[in-house]
Amino acid sequence: MLPKNYIDIFCFIVLENPLVLICILPSTKEEDSPMKLERLWGASPFRSSYDAVMIGGGIHGLATAYFLAKEHNMRNVAVIERKYVGFGGSGRNTAIVRANQRSQGNVRLYDEGLKLWATLIRDLDFNMMFYNCGNLNTFHSEGALGAARLAVSTAQLSGVKSELLDRKQCKELIPVLNIEDNIKYPILGGMYHPPGGIVRHDAVAWGLAKGAARYGVHIHQNTEVTGIDVENGKIAGIRTDRGTIKSPRVLICAGGWGALLAQMAGIELPLHPLTIQAMVTQPLKPVLHHVISSGAYHVYANQTLKGEIATGAHMDPWPNYTTNTTPHYFKHQAEALVELLPFLRGVKFMRHWAGIADMTPDMAPILHGNDPIEGLYLDVGWGYFGFKSGPITGKYMAQYIADAKRPEILKPFSLRRFEEFRHTGETAGAFSYGPWN
Amino acid sequence: MSYTITCPICGKRDLYEFRFGNEERGPAPDHEGLTPRSYSEAVQMHKAVGGPQKEWWYHRDGCGVWFTIWRDTLTGRETDESGEIS
Repeated sequence: MLPKNYIDIFCFIVLENPLVLICILPSTKEEDSPMKLERLWGASPFRSSYDAVMIGGGIHGLATAYFLAKEHNMRNVAVIERKYVGFGGSGRNTAIVRANQRSQGNVRLYDEGLKLWATLIRDLDFNMMFYNCGNLNTFHSEGALGAARLAVSTAQLSGVKSELLDRKQCKELIPVLNIEDNIKYPILGGMYHPPGGIVRHDAVAWGLAKGAARYGVHIHQNTEVTGIDVENGKIAGIRTDRGTIKSPRVLICAGGWGALLAQMAGIELPLHPLTIQAMVTQPLKPVLHHVISSGAYHVYANQTLKGEIATGAHMDPWPNYTTNTTPHYFKHQAEALVELLPFLRGVKFMRHWAGIADMTPDMAPILHGNDPIEGLYLDVGWGYFGFKSGPITGKYMAQYIADAKRPEILKPFSLRRFEEFRHTGETAGAFSYGPWN
Repeated sequence: MSYTITCPICGKRDLYEFRFGNEERGPAPDHEGLTPRSYSEAVQMHKAVGGPQKEWWYHRDGCGVWFTIWRDTLTGRETDESGEIS
């Protein structure tokens, strides 16, 4: 009798001719298998001492370790991560990169950061999906127009492409934008920044981890730092739930948890940890070809390469170390998005999440070292800007740690600027940026 | 999930009705002998406690009263002074 279906045909052939089986089954030898998956980085032995330790396995810590090993020949370096690589802000941001900040010191660093992506992708041999689609920041009041003029002037003085558009030009750039007067905050115009865009954030964390591990950096995940040891004003090492590590150089680069780690070394910082929420819609056909953001609506959005509209909200207006999301912001995002981009009416949100932004009073980071504790370095206070600046900051923090001397480009970001009341001028108004703004 | 805190006048209300007024840092420093550094410590630095802390709130969209509560920054929940959920 003839077999009825394919399984029967297969069994029939195999049973009739066992030699066929050898040809059908894949080879059991690992190196021949087409399905073999290689880990991007392997497990490392847990040493009791390192030349430098990064607390935080996010983009900043991994980039610093990578550049320490690559450019400063410091290979005995560890990255300590409480959860897993990219658990914190590195994997929770909305992946937007840009260099159109307000003060020149900031723009200089972010601009170098923007230019670094291409070389980093080549050096790491890892596709981070850099899509330089440009950013449009809309403004909705005369006051915001003034602030945009300042930012555009700063950018143009620094050689960064940025220009003012009137509202008709905004519509020409983004045809799906609503420039009518029938919304709460009608659009007056926009600040267009062509070199910005989006980068796949997980790929950045994974690529840097792979690159760092290739140079011999030890990445210890699931390892929680429980204490920081200081002896005679010098850093001695750290304590973890897997044992003590001696190290003359320790970098705190733990994103939103930076203030808690600084407390372990007895340092009080001007930081508010604020939960910031983000969400994505269901995937749509390509329709939004630029990053769009609006200060008045407190909303920013871009269409990912998967087609989802990724959108971020303002921070929760009180300090929290939690990553909970709240219905308040689903409603807020939906209301803002359907006014600016009416085609989104009826589109569903698919996923939502939150991260922690550690905000300083002047919305600029704290990149500081050897003060008040020799060998202790701080890379904190990035707020919600830590992603776009991650690799470039790692490059300069590595130089800072290797030379024990602050690089020129990091001069504006000293911790001492707060007690000297020399704030960076990044906020448009008073310097006391906090949960109430 | 949604967050609530207890207003002394209006009772338990949605946290988004309130304005956060900073962690409790004691009285304002004396003007006598004030240095930029001690002033900065009073107005800019934060303990940023991970756990229960005493903090100030203003019922912005309600009765307008200023008051203090204890709240756990690791859970976002209102607690009593010992850190227990009240």
